[in-house]
Amino acid sequence: MGGAVEKRLKDKSIELPQPAVPAANYVPYVVSGNLAFIAGQIPFWNGELNYVGKVGQEFSIEEGQAAARMCGLNVVAQVRAACGGDLDRVVRCVKVGGFVAAGPEFTDQPKVMNGASDLFVEVFGDAGKHARFAVAAPSLPLGVAVEVDAVFEIK
Amino acid sequence: MAGLIDAKLAQLRITLPEPMAPVASYIPYRIAGNLAWISGQGPVENGAMMCVGLVGSVVGLEAAIAAARLTGLNLLSQLRVALDGDLDRVSRVVKLGGFVQCTPDFIDHPKVINGASDLMVEIFGEAGKHARFAVGAPSLPMNTSVEIDGIFEIR
Repeated sequence: MGGAVEKRLKDKSIELPQPAVPAANYVPYVVSGNLAFIAGQIPFWNGELNYVGKVGQEFSIEEGQAAARMCGLNVVAQVRAACGGDLDRVVRCVKVGGFVAAGPEFTDQPKVMNGASDLFVEVFGDAGKHARFAVAAPSLPLGVAVEVDAVFEIK
Repeated sequence: MAGLIDAKLAQLRITLPEPMAPVASYIPYRIAGNLAWISGQGPVENGAMMCVGLVGSVVGLEAAIAAARLTGLNLLSQLRVALDGDLDRVSRVVKLGGFVQCTPDFIDHPKVINGASDLMVEIFGEAGKHARFAVGAPSLPMNTSVEIDGIFEIR
């Protein structure tokens, strides 16, 4: 794979995980027209689940950011699969949805989700800038701390 | 209307509920290009919310799965209106966003939202497979146990 984005990944020593297999009866992405809808990703790394717990309890904000970044890496891995292996087909990251497992008193969802948002800009440059929401959830699938979904425009 | 999907619904002995009017200042669906965006729906039948309360405490897993299936039927009911009664115009279920009102220790969000995901595959076959997220919420409108929104590709 010798694309510009792949070169950036290599230069920045960013490694992508194997795209995770869905935990239930759905698919990891759907391409409709020029939009790729990526299913919610949780912090798997090559099949191993990480960051089980809540931010503000078991995990610090920094650890939450690392969990969000891992979710983001899984998103990029799914985008690569959606683009037939060619990340240079990404036109822009359109929208990111971020869910942080936390107690009702927690208010730093945006800081946590920056772990994923910053990653997308690192990987795709200006094209990685996106609209997003970052909200809390009382709990998330399998007990993970962060879940991230996304919509990408591709060519 | 005697379309293929209507025939499938009849074969599965499924009757779609009456489409519910929005509870606030929004509309139940919006079509943009070849995507139909359906507002968040709940498990409503004959105008009544059929499953309320926290999953993991007052609502059991099986009841929550049934609520997700009924919520899926409400999505299709709105979609049918959006498509002037012709569900054969659906070319792909693109994305479902699933919210489960649940306790902080609940981890089976994917199983719950499968109630809707399985329904989509039952009715639309391969075209029913979609990207999705399934997350927890501390509370939901009108105390519903499940809320799901959807994006469908249409022709």
